[in-house]
Amino acid sequence: MSQEPDPELREALLAAVPGLRAFAISLSGQVDRADDLVQDTLLRALSNLHRFEPGTNLNAWLFTILRNLFHSEYRKRRREVEDPDGSYAGRLRVQPEQGAHLDFEDFRSALSQLPSDQREALLLVGASGFSYEEAANICDCAVGTIKSRVNRARIRLASLLNVDDIEDLGPDSMTRAALQG
Amino acid sequence: MTVEKGNKLARASRDNGPGGKLATDPKLDSGSQKRIGDQLRAMYDELMQQPVPDRFRDLLEQLDKNGQKGGSQ
Repeated sequence: MSQEPDPELREALLAAVPGLRAFAISLSGQVDRADDLVQDTLLRALSNLHRFEPGTNLNAWLFTILRNLFHSEYRKRRREVEDPDGSYAGRLRVQPEQGAHLDFEDFRSALSQLPSDQREALLLVGASGFSYEEAANICDCAVGTIKSRVNRARIRLASLLNVDDIEDLGPDSMTRAALQG
Repeated sequence: MTVEKGNKLARASRDNGPGGKLATDPKLDSGSQKRIGDQLRAMYDELMQQPVPDRFRDLLEQLDKNGQKGGSQ
């Protein structure tokens, strides 16, 4: 059973890949590394299929595996690299994207400045579509902790992106400029 | 001992004081929250739209073939 995924399961795993990639890319800031993470996740899932309870959320199970892999790898890297935070943030910020969407670049840069526990909580709840309860299970922490991390992540992003300023200054300052002509 | 604990608590709550913030987390107003959420989802959607790299399709197909070769079915 452990190494013979039926076609249905294979389709389900394949269907989960875009979500896993989006999460891994947003988490690590690197497409190559993210794809390695997704591949390791799939391999680990396949060799642990006997641990998956049919009928439960396959996606949540896969995200849990990916997150754990990411953290154990990150811990390993932190021991190897001298200036983990600086280099990590730097890599996130210069990550090239084919589409070159400036807004997203700003957003990614802001995202990279969040503490990683806040970043992952926000990604799980705000983007991957998990409930607070599911996210708490994935991160192995209390629901209240997830809620608080998501909240702090939003506040920090808002201040990094000057969301308040945009709201206040946007149309108003243009009107003012027009009036002052 | 209890007095000491009390002092510590008092100090902790004073530390929260300068910004006029309470011990509970401040909340973002709903407009800003929506804006952040929209940007996050837009960034994420773009990633979700990317085609699945062949390596994953190949990987799963490969495993499927190996499974059949094992031949318990």
